Amino acid sequence: MASPEGVEEGYDEKQHQAAYIFDPSGDTDETTRPVKRRRVSKRLDTSEAHNTKRASSFQCLLQGAESEQAMKLRQEIFEKLWSVIDSRIHSILRETNQSTLQEVTSFLQNAPDHTPKGKIPSAFIITGPNIASQDLLFEQLSETLQHEAKAQVARLRSGDASNLRAVLRKIIHDIISKDSTDGEDLDLTTSKDGRKFLNYDLEALHTHLKLTPRRNLVIIAFQDSEAFDSGLLSDLISLLSSWLDRIPFAFLFGVATSVELFEARLLKSTCQILYGDQFDVEQTASIIDKIFKTAVAHSEIPLSFGPNLIGSFLERQREQVASIHDFIRSLKYAYMCHFYANPLSLLVPDGLNSGALQPEHIEILRCLPSFRRAVETAVENNSTIQAKQLFEDDSKLIGYLVDCLRERRQWIIKLLRILKIFTASKAVTADFADLYMDASYNGFDLSGQYDQFFDSIKRMEPCDSEGYVSQVLDTMQQGDRSLGLDPWAAEAPETVALLSDILAGIKQLRSDAEDQGHVLRSKYSGQSKILRTTVVAQKVQLSQDTAALTDHDKSYTDLIHRFLEHLETTMRVEGAYDMPFNEVWLYDSKTPYKEVFIPRPRNVLERALSRPHDYLGCSCCKTSEDQIAPTLPTTAILYRLYLETGSLINAADIWSAYYAVVGEDNEDGLDERTALILFYRSMAEMKAMGFIKQSRKKADHMAKVAWKGL
Amino acid sequence: MVRAKRQQQDIAETSLRSSSRKRDREEIDETEETEESTPSKRRSGRPGASTRLNNSHSEYDFPSDDDKQAKPTGQETPRKRGRPPGNTTHNGIGVASTPRGRKGKGITVVTPSRTRGIVNGETPRRLRNDRSARKKSARALIEKVIAGISSDEEADEDIAREIYESSEEDEVGEDATDGHHGKEDTEEIPDEPATPSRKPRGRTKGKKGTRTHKKSPTPPRDLPPHELYFAQNRPGTAKTSNNTLASLKLLTHEEYFSLLRDYKDPHEVDIEFLDSIHVQSFPQWAFELSQGFSVCLYGYGSKRALLHKFAKHVYDTISDHNTHRIVIINGYVRANMSSLRDILSVIVGAIDPKHKLAAGGPSVMIENLKSLLSAHDITITVVLNSIDAAPLRRPGFQSILAHLAAHSQIQFVCSADTPDFTLLWDSSLRSSFSFVFHDCTTFSPFTTELEVVDDVHELLGRKARRVGGKEGVAYVLRSLTENARNLYRLLVGEVLVAMDDEADSSGENPGVEYRMIYNKAVEEFICSSEMAFRTLLKEWAFSSRKL
Repeated sequence: MASPEGVEEGYDEKQHQAAYIFDPSGDTDETTRPVKRRRVSKRLDTSEAHNTKRASSFQCLLQGAESEQAMKLRQEIFEKLWSVIDSRIHSILRETNQSTLQEVTSFLQNAPDHTPKGKIPSAFIITGPNIASQDLLFEQLSETLQHEAKAQVARLRSGDASNLRAVLRKIIHDIISKDSTDGEDLDLTTSKDGRKFLNYDLEALHTHLKLTPRRNLVIIAFQDSEAFDSGLLSDLISLLSSWLDRIPFAFLFGVATSVELFEARLLKSTCQILYGDQFDVEQTASIIDKIFKTAVAHSEIPLSFGPNLIGSFLERQREQVASIHDFIRSLKYAYMCHFYANPLSLLVPDGLNSGALQPEHIEILRCLPSFRRAVETAVENNSTIQAKQLFEDDSKLIGYLVDCLRERRQWIIKLLRILKIFTASKAVTADFADLYMDASYNGFDLSGQYDQFFDSIKRMEPCDSEGYVSQVLDTMQQGDRSLGLDPWAAEAPETVALLSDILAGIKQLRSDAEDQGHVLRSKYSGQSKILRTTVVAQKVQLSQDTAALTDHDKSYTDLIHRFLEHLETTMRVEGAYDMPFNEVWLYDSKTPYKEVFIPRPRNVLERALSRPHDYLGCSCCKTSEDQIAPTLPTTAILYRLYLETGSLINAADIWSAYYAVVGEDNEDGLDERTALILFYRSMAEMKAMGFIKQSRKKADHMAKVAWKGL
Repeated sequence: MVRAKRQQQDIAETSLRSSSRKRDREEIDETEETEESTPSKRRSGRPGASTRLNNSHSEYDFPSDDDKQAKPTGQETPRKRGRPPGNTTHNGIGVASTPRGRKGKGITVVTPSRTRGIVNGETPRRLRNDRSARKKSARALIEKVIAGISSDEEADEDIAREIYESSEEDEVGEDATDGHHGKEDTEEIPDEPATPSRKPRGRTKGKKGTRTHKKSPTPPRDLPPHELYFAQNRPGTAKTSNNTLASLKLLTHEEYFSLLRDYKDPHEVDIEFLDSIHVQSFPQWAFELSQGFSVCLYGYGSKRALLHKFAKHVYDTISDHNTHRIVIINGYVRANMSSLRDILSVIVGAIDPKHKLAAGGPSVMIENLKSLLSAHDITITVVLNSIDAAPLRRPGFQSILAHLAAHSQIQFVCSADTPDFTLLWDSSLRSSFSFVFHDCTTFSPFTTELEVVDDVHELLGRKARRVGGKEGVAYVLRSLTENARNLYRLLVGEVLVAMDDEADSSGENPGVEYRMIYNKAVEEFICSSEMAFRTLLKEWAFSSRKL
């Protein structure tokens, strides 16, 4: 047994209890009683207690050499940074649903006035396939509706609705209990005249509503309406509609597919009772995009993520329809990993805490590959002395480090500006997230892989190029708030001057050309080459000619050239990996993320059983794949045998095969009874893990249920 | 059934197809023949023996020189070859036609007949094919009777008869391939009677041998997983020996536990080492918990001891035990069906020992628990062993747990033992659990989680030795009234005391005094009169028989 016997024995009794309060000190009575009494006084120092508790959750790194101060710094930075990001994300989430909320609320508020008699006002909310994010939406909806529309909301999920009676019971209970939250006992079963109601009798709800006249609507929200049994839904709707003259009902339907499909599932007579409108919710993809911009690409975010990690986040979103919360959680986990495990993370916001650096830190800094590369380039550029100083003088190194870390901010802003200018072009169709990942990894270089963009600008028609230049100017003047990008037109007056110059030039040329009845074009525009066919002596001659460019065209071409030159010089930024000390602020490791969020428990189990050596690391079990060594753990031996069987397993045969492996005939073999208990134990384990089950086909046979690797 | 067979046939080897083609031809010949000779007989539904006889002659006639060609080239399927010798023998009985002419006619007929077969719809024809094996053997038998039996053929006839009977069974049997095989056999063998030599039959056997060779129980090594699945699931391959465990004395609980106590695992050191590695990540898990994630440990081996250690670790780091408590839940405990209520009330007890959980359904309980939590400034760490244990797989349970885990004041750690535990949750549940998963393969044996002996006996289809076991006791106890239960507790306590007292003095069954028990029962307000006491006792005698 893995743990010491004493502990095991001590809690033996509790092992068979379904649940108990863990308290190794034993006497629960002593500790539980004071809770009540002291609770009020304790309140004061709980925050303090929490802090001390949390402080210990980080570990000293560098094999314990890290000072406590550095460790605490890391933790503080993490908490501070994440809380900022978290609040930003939450405000985004709140905003995204806001418009839907308002629409729905106003619809339902005005519903009683414009709904035809005998019909139930219903709002169909197209939520899309992501059921995990529905909860938040409906929670917000019910809150808003309760406050603004003075309505009572009962939220139903398909899981609650096994039959009509259960649904009614839930509706009645939800609404009545919500009203009596102030502790008074809910007496919903008796009416004034002392009559008793059944708990699914809507009469009870009716009487209750009469007592509390301030509410005017009873809203029933079907969160995942497609998952409801359609017959049940029809029954419920028609039943509720018959009470409509006494209780003002209204419905909310969360629809994942489309209203038409939903309607098709209901009875026609039921559909006629409903009077509704359709509301769209912002789809997950666009929300993710927003979150990406604020939480990953934003200029004030001090931690960057590499394309590997972010790519797998986004991939998971797209392919596994994970919820937005999963995305946020993944981000958070990445932050946690960085600050928990990287001792250099204490430098994160621009190297402010460089004072806390220990000699160990400095040693690590000197070993960083990015630093080495920087030194190598310095040596190549013949600044050997400086490079040497970085190695010898700690203060020089720290100075250099802080400079580099500050440079990061400039880098980010430059990168975002370039991306902004880049995406201003209509020719770019790629996702912002994809572009960002690519640019931050490889850097941005117009002459390189982005030459398509370069080309498209070259070939632009005058009106397009005019539009594009003015858009670039616009972007410079506006910035982008979602990315935290301030307008930078003031910073680069010469660029602005150049661009406006070009813009004015193009405008001038266009109007001039128009006056002359001539279409302005550049050297590169599409029709500049003309194919001539000449018939000479009954032979067709093909010749290509460059159409003669007018003076206007030539000057337009010049303008385009100037513009391109400008772009080429300004739109140039290096990738994150080329920055010295990027290890401090760049996190791009997939490993903990994948294992922690997308586990593969089957593979792990199969690996443990087929190659126990990987885990145990013992000398005895290191065999090649196919050999069955008697020293393997019993279940591993049985698993090997199990893999070879067909779909039906004879227990007697597998026992004799097992006994042949471990039995007395072998060296240090087990006697039969001992082998048998191990056999029993492993069989029970295999059964519990769902590998085998009982089979009635033959005596003493079992059915195989799982196949390796499937 | 028929359909299945048909598909099987389609996929089956070409030899089979060629034989069915032959049968088609044969049918055509048959119909033509009957048209020529006696239409009335055909109408009678079941073709008469004489037509049959004619048929077979005509059918057997034509390939006769085909046979001569085929043998040297060796291109024909063995079955084709197998048949001809019969023809030659039957030629003796003879239909008045030259083989050659027959052959020519046969060929011209073949094509239209096939198309006709398709036009008419395949099913009836195929149906006939399926039956034809049986029919043929029947036919062979009849032939025998009519043509007179030579002693030499008697053995063959026996085979035909056997097949006739066995194929009857096959039609009932569910194994498609087996039926298929049986049919092939019958297809071969009806031809046999006509065969004087055993050579062709031997060959067909040989061929079949190669076919079955492919289906040997040990598939080739290093198959990709999906191939292996199909290889092991091929119908008809599930052939296991008839050995049973009859000769083996199965374990009893006593033997199991006494032997287990003496057994020492050779891997103990390694397992402890593995454990120590997991222990190193305790602070990390605690950090994840504090950040609002739930931790789920998976992998092979019992993680109960590890989680217990983790609980201890958390306990030791807690500065104030009044604002942070740990509740351990054992998901594998089977006996109590009302365990959800038990679990939640323990948690409620941890928050505020004086509070009673509201009565009602699960959703009411969880709402009650949540509001209680929000009212108190307390953090609860819930440690759940085996979240995927059978008792927790009941519907509704996981969603309650998810609600629990999603609460900000609850830190949720659990372990999962099965490989497919993630199927328990849909995306919304998974999202509210907000799990981080860790591979915690421990290799330590499951001790309390499993009831080994019972499980294995159930697996083997044996009756569990312990009647009802724990569940049974709990069931009976629950069905009793409060008073009866208390009386039982009293009684058992007294008996135990008495046994302890008398253990050293005498080996006889200890007795308990009636009066004393009654007095005690009255003291504890279990019963008010002797009448009631007797009734309760009687009830006990009755229900203990049930136990």
